[in-house]
Amino acid sequence: MMREFAKQWNKNKYPYMFIAPAVLLLVVFSIIPIVIALVISFTNMDLVGLADYSNIRGVGFDNYIRIFKDPVFLKALFNTFIYVIVGVPLVVICAMAVALLLNYGTSWLFKTFRVIYYMPSITNIVAVAVVWGYLYNGSYGLFNYMLSWFGIPAQQWLQDPTLAKFSLILLALWKAIGLNMIIFLAALQGIPRSYYEAAEIDGATGWKKLRYITVPLLSFATFFVTITTLIGWIQFFEEPFVMTKGGPLNATMSLALFIYNNGFKLSNFGYAASGSFVLFVIIILATIVQFAVRKKEVEY
Amino acid sequence: MKKKTWGIMFATLMAFSLVLAGCGSNNSNSGSGSSKTLKVWFMGTSDTVTPITKMYEEQNPGVKVEVQAIPWDSAHDKLLTAVASQNGPDVVQMGTTWVPEFAAAGALADLAPYIEKYPNLKAENFYDGAVQTGQYDGKTVGIPWYVETRALFYRSDLLADVGYPEGPKTWDELKAASQKLVAKGGAGHYGITIDSKDQITAAIFAWQNGIDFIDDQGQPHFNDPKYVEAINYLKSFYDEKLTPSGTDLDTVAAFKDGTIPMFISGPWMIQTIKDKDPEIDGKWTVTTLPAKENNQSAIGGADLSIFNYSKNKDEAAKFISFMSDKEAQLKYYETSNSLPALKTAWDDQAFQDPMIAAFGKQLETSRPAPQIKEWETIAQSVISSFEQITIGGADTQTEMNKLNDKAKEILAK
Repeated sequence: MMREFAKQWNKNKYPYMFIAPAVLLLVVFSIIPIVIALVISFTNMDLVGLADYSNIRGVGFDNYIRIFKDPVFLKALFNTFIYVIVGVPLVVICAMAVALLLNYGTSWLFKTFRVIYYMPSITNIVAVAVVWGYLYNGSYGLFNYMLSWFGIPAQQWLQDPTLAKFSLILLALWKAIGLNMIIFLAALQGIPRSYYEAAEIDGATGWKKLRYITVPLLSFATFFVTITTLIGWIQFFEEPFVMTKGGPLNATMSLALFIYNNGFKLSNFGYAASGSFVLFVIIILATIVQFAVRKKEVEY
Repeated sequence: MKKKTWGIMFATLMAFSLVLAGCGSNNSNSGSGSSKTLKVWFMGTSDTVTPITKMYEEQNPGVKVEVQAIPWDSAHDKLLTAVASQNGPDVVQMGTTWVPEFAAAGALADLAPYIEKYPNLKAENFYDGAVQTGQYDGKTVGIPWYVETRALFYRSDLLADVGYPEGPKTWDELKAASQKLVAKGGAGHYGITIDSKDQITAAIFAWQNGIDFIDDQGQPHFNDPKYVEAINYLKSFYDEKLTPSGTDLDTVAAFKDGTIPMFISGPWMIQTIKDKDPEIDGKWTVTTLPAKENNQSAIGGADLSIFNYSKNKDEAAKFISFMSDKEAQLKYYETSNSLPALKTAWDDQAFQDPMIAAFGKQLETSRPAPQIKEWETIAQSVISSFEQITIGGADTQTEMNKLNDKAKEILAK
């Protein structure tokens, strides 16, 4: 048995060695913390427990039962659902549209706009929040000023519970387009010209080329962008954290912000850990569903 | 070939272990050797405290004070990490509302033995309210460092126009003055801002109405008629549009245009208004809060504590004693405009200024937020119920009953 194992090991040791650093980092910084968080989620750990582990007591499924009765958590769950439903398709469609438009030419104008569209995704979120805070300002914001040209009354962009959610989505969309656009652009440039030439000979119009060649061949990029965007939006955090702190009336509270508030502001680590496990399960389920419904790879 | 692979493997592993070692660099060099390093964490910016620590270093050769300035926003997270790793500073500046939480976790050393040794640390040197902020469970865990309280800023010219040149003295006058200011100013004008995101706003008005919303036995009274009355009083400002319901109106700018002629805030706003609104110099001032049964305000600020995991407690106590000297307290006022907690410091010339003096007067009737570790959690609920009432349109009594049940549940845990 032992010898068998040693033999097996000897045969495969080089691949193991090559993946060892990556596996080691993954275990130390991801797997172990996840396991610890799972354990913590069944305890009443708080600041007192953190300072002295002997004060920690197991509470079974109590945290999980309580969290599903917590109106703020349910609200956060609902909000996150809205963020995902509205945000993900918007990001995918807008990023793809921008990439298609930028792919039409290679002159300096197109190159400049690539930079312009990419800029938001590398800008610090706090700086973004300050500027957008002014844009959204109810009394002297640019958006309300622009609305006033058309005689539309001033809006409370971040104070109105319904509007605030969409204000944050707009901000996140603006920020997310850049990175995803790059992925689409790279995929677009990987489509061989010959397909288009063949289609042209057959008399295909621009729309038909887009519909039957470009979009299907972008399917892998679309899949990748959808999954990463979906996970990103389920973990929606920075925008509500810096812009609204989850208010007004918890209308912009996301699951990740709820977990942060409970964990780091109120020091209810056990409770927050149970919240993060709910989030973990949601993300896993969403990803499994994505893989399941994914259509077969298109190749010509 | 084989040797070479091993060499690369080894080099890679070494590189990673270096990276990992870099992450967990330990700072346990304090406490050993003759030249001591005292690690001190301050909130805010370091240029306000380094002049004072320099003074300390000059007076105590061989001691090096290592100041780390932490922005207030991230300070709480940073302190949590320090407790978790049991590795932190020797002296730490604690926001007064954090003291109970960290004291309950045993992160702050009991200062009783040091108070005997250093007379500077004795309670009678400081404002009563400030001393209470450093107490937890009968122990002294924090020495007052600076204090702040909330008072009323108002545009004296605009208030004089509506008949209150001295500012409103009572709740009724505050209401009437606001109504008159709005009537006079027209659209886009308000009487006063009510900072609904500040956990202490509702508390101040409740205290003024004579209700102790968490009593000595730790029982909440948020649904008491007096608390409800205080909330309804604040709510009426929203209902009558005497206060802006949005929170993004810039107070400093609105104070200048006179669209918000009154607001309640702390001493730090004096310098801000002076710097940003020089146009209205001489047209505004500060006074104590309008009274109902009393005109109590909330005391806040920061205390200095010794981190329980420090190996340098004696040196840390000596440093805190130095920081409680009149000289250090005045220096800190000079560098940061934070009001000294030390009573004798107030004899200084600098505090004759009428605006500062108004804060000095308000400090005499100021009390700290409830000194219980659950307060921060309860305060979040207080803020959200207040929002439910003023923006969400919930019924005050129903909402307060809910709040009271929630507070009971939190306190019972």
